[in-house]
Amino acid sequence: MRPKRKRAGRIIFLSGMLVLALIIFLGNKVVVKTSTDEYCASCHIHPHSTQSWKRSTHVDNKMGIHVHCVDCHLPPHGEGYLVQKAKTGIRDVWAKTFRDSASFNWEAKSQIEYASHHTFETSCIHCHQNNYPLGLTKEGREAHLYYERQAGELHCINCHITVGHYDPDRLHAQNTGFGIVKTASTELYTEPGVINGFNNFTEYIPGSAVSFDMIAIPGGTYMMGSPVDEPFRDQDEGPVREVEISPFFMAKIEASWDEYMAFFKQTGAQGKSSDTYLNVAREDVDGISGPTPPYGAPDQGWGIGKMPAMSMTHHAAEVYCEWLTEITGKTYRLPTEAEWEYAARGGTTSPYFFEGDPRRYVDKGIRNRIFGVDTAVINCYIIYAENSGARSRPPSATRENPFGLVNMLGNVLEFCSDWYADEAYSQYAEGTLKDPSGPDSGEEYVVRGGSYRDGAESVRCASRDYTKTDAWLKTDPQIPKSVWWYSDCFYVGFRVVCEYEEMPGD
Amino acid sequence: MKPTKPTSRRRFLENTALGAIGVIGASKLIQSCAPGETTAEVVEPVFLKTAVDGQPIRAGVVGCGGRGSGAAVNFLDAGPNLSIVALADVFQDRIDDLRKKLKDEKDVELEDANCFVGFDAYKKLLELDLDYVILATPPYFRPEHFQACVEARKHVFMEKPVAVDPVGARAVMAASKQAEAAGLCVVTGTQRRHQWSYNNVKARIDAGMIGDIVATNVYWNQNQLWYRENQSAWTEMEWMIRDWVNWTWLSGDHIVEQHVHNIDVSNWFVGTHPVEAVGMGSRLRRKTGDCYDNFSVDFIYDKTIHMNSMCRQINDCATSVSEYLRGNKGYTNPGGTIWDAEGNVLYEWKSPVDEAGEPVENDPYVQEHIDLISAIREGKQIVEAEETARSVLTAIMGRISAYTGKKVTWEEMMSSDITIGPKSEIKLGPVDIDRTIPIAGSD
Repeated sequence: MRPKRKRAGRIIFLSGMLVLALIIFLGNKVVVKTSTDEYCASCHIHPHSTQSWKRSTHVDNKMGIHVHCVDCHLPPHGEGYLVQKAKTGIRDVWAKTFRDSASFNWEAKSQIEYASHHTFETSCIHCHQNNYPLGLTKEGREAHLYYERQAGELHCINCHITVGHYDPDRLHAQNTGFGIVKTASTELYTEPGVINGFNNFTEYIPGSAVSFDMIAIPGGTYMMGSPVDEPFRDQDEGPVREVEISPFFMAKIEASWDEYMAFFKQTGAQGKSSDTYLNVAREDVDGISGPTPPYGAPDQGWGIGKMPAMSMTHHAAEVYCEWLTEITGKTYRLPTEAEWEYAARGGTTSPYFFEGDPRRYVDKGIRNRIFGVDTAVINCYIIYAENSGARSRPPSATRENPFGLVNMLGNVLEFCSDWYADEAYSQYAEGTLKDPSGPDSGEEYVVRGGSYRDGAESVRCASRDYTKTDAWLKTDPQIPKSVWWYSDCFYVGFRVVCEYEEMPGD
Repeated sequence: MKPTKPTSRRRFLENTALGAIGVIGASKLIQSCAPGETTAEVVEPVFLKTAVDGQPIRAGVVGCGGRGSGAAVNFLDAGPNLSIVALADVFQDRIDDLRKKLKDEKDVELEDANCFVGFDAYKKLLELDLDYVILATPPYFRPEHFQACVEARKHVFMEKPVAVDPVGARAVMAASKQAEAAGLCVVTGTQRRHQWSYNNVKARIDAGMIGDIVATNVYWNQNQLWYRENQSAWTEMEWMIRDWVNWTWLSGDHIVEQHVHNIDVSNWFVGTHPVEAVGMGSRLRRKTGDCYDNFSVDFIYDKTIHMNSMCRQINDCATSVSEYLRGNKGYTNPGGTIWDAEGNVLYEWKSPVDEAGEPVENDPYVQEHIDLISAIREGKQIVEAEETARSVLTAIMGRISAYTGKKVTWEEMMSSDITIGPKSEIKLGPVDIDRTIPIAGSD
């Protein structure tokens, strides 16, 4: 019996080993098979993913090297490859089986915030081990020094986002061709617009073919801020203050690329790159000295014309106003925060200037998840996360507010002239405030209205936000960074106001 | 999966132990310190007395003035199989002088075809078959020359300071990383790092003999430095270059040009660079140029460690060229002595002695080349340029603070676009620079 049992044991052991080997062999086969580009492409049929990859430098290069899907979208072998592969596999199978790929917002998914979760920096570094190859340009060397100083803050694709999927609209270079448009012999305005009493008027930018509408905003008193029971209210929206606003004019739409480019063309300093936060004292800036060429594509290839100009700095917007003041003989400036909210409300007191509950407009909560977000009303008025397709839209896409202003809420954030403070409203003296203009000093400026990226909670009339200078200039590789363009904020713009000087008899 | 770091200095020194003469006397002195004084084992530095033999090394010299000539001779003295085959300078007479010196003292003959004159002479020199380039021009030119050397894949010995402004210092940092990646070796003329005495003290400070460093003082107070008056036969550019130590755009001012040695010692021992500086200085008695002749700067490393720095080039004043580092358990003159907190000597550097009992001093100017050549021949990479650029940028930070009266931070320096030097092309003739002497503050 003994020898027999021994033999049986050996057979069981050997067959166990065989099965194990088979499992390992087949498992490996499966891993290899499911890691091919063809296998990835069999499900990832979303627009142009394969074509843009083939046009990218990871395929279309002189060395003849092909970098495959898993080389970037999974970590290197031995650094969590199989775990991530299993995770993405389960997620992809779920999405492929139960979701409609046409409903995905591919535009949003190609943005850096999302893309950085699906591109592993360890994989970049696995191949690209030398940040300082001989022959690297001076700018490249400076940029990589900067990258190393920002340990953990920057992902390679913050700058090199198009290396895996080609995108001609996302340039990471000095965009010296920006604003150079061969214009047909359009008629240029020679005289600015005329204000005739306190009525809406059209401004004409002399020396350009650009005009824009200004709305007369009557003076009045309103309650600034949001009541404590308003859904999604933030602490900084209170306490609610009674504010008296003098009459002023406000641009009907957010300053457009047409308007901003007129400024750029007339004042832009080609190739000048030394106007920087460090070296230029604000008061030294000549109102006529305009922006340098941007680094990258500030319009993101989404279109210019009446589309809102964006990604200029707060400083640039202020210089724009100074310039507009000079060439039109009127007084243009950024709105105060109080003026902005007054104009946005247009006499209403609800969260938005139209009927609606913010809780029904957000992609949150069981009811909204099950029954879908009720966007019928809000869609008419606001470009925000649920309807924007992750990009700004032309003003024609939405309806006016009660004052006749378009896109006050959503689309792009709008600069105000006030310094931001959490407790700005409580810092004012007691009583009714007359044309308040914010704290005397601060670090960052107020921005209002939310943007195409924000959920319904952040596009309420009372929502407050502020500029984020460091984050918005995160990948600007110029040293020092641009004083004119944010390299990493394609959702901020502005809207001008014009002061109304009451004449006797008006 | 990062690229392998080049061998650190100490590692390098350890690795070159073979055939090296150990520094004597250390073990005895170790015993003299009380138990518990050191927290880690002292890693005895080991130096070669001459460069290891190996592949012939052909060197070129860019900048044939006093230091370039000195460095050329130091290089030839460093070991076997070394030759100087090319020279470059802006001025013919400098080349002639060094050729003669090399012939007279070292019996080295240079071909006419390998001697280049002019501002682009270095480019022609780099086209030759060279292994090793000595850069010893006024520091304004260093970043450009160093970059060109790295692109041409040459090993480099370059004099400090390696830049005169923030843009130049960062350019050297990046080029240093390129040199690392390309397997090149670079030594930078901060010769205290090649001095036996400093390294022996450093080994003990690193082992905790004075605890943690809490404050440092660094001095370069000396008499007036040399200067040259203008001559009628010279263009303005020629005068400035011949009088370069007195011109900020060429030298970086004396806090950068000279005092960087002591600042570098503090950075080396503390192990990092300061994060901000508040300085003052003025120009009281300097004869030519636009440099100051005295600075005093309070550098702050991390809000707790201060480096007090002083430098002066004025006759008949107190002089001192030294460093003092205070730890929470004692203090040191890193040039040779360590004391405990009560002032008892814990360690004193003593030069080793030869057979006749005479002390053997190391010549750090030659040691730099011994270390560099040995590194090249043994394939043990050593690249000092980035660390030296950090010390140079530290000194520049102090200078800018003194000139402006403002507090200046490291972050500002790392993102500053300040460049000094002529706006127009560099050539012999009038020089287009702002020569106003900076005066801090307002009335």
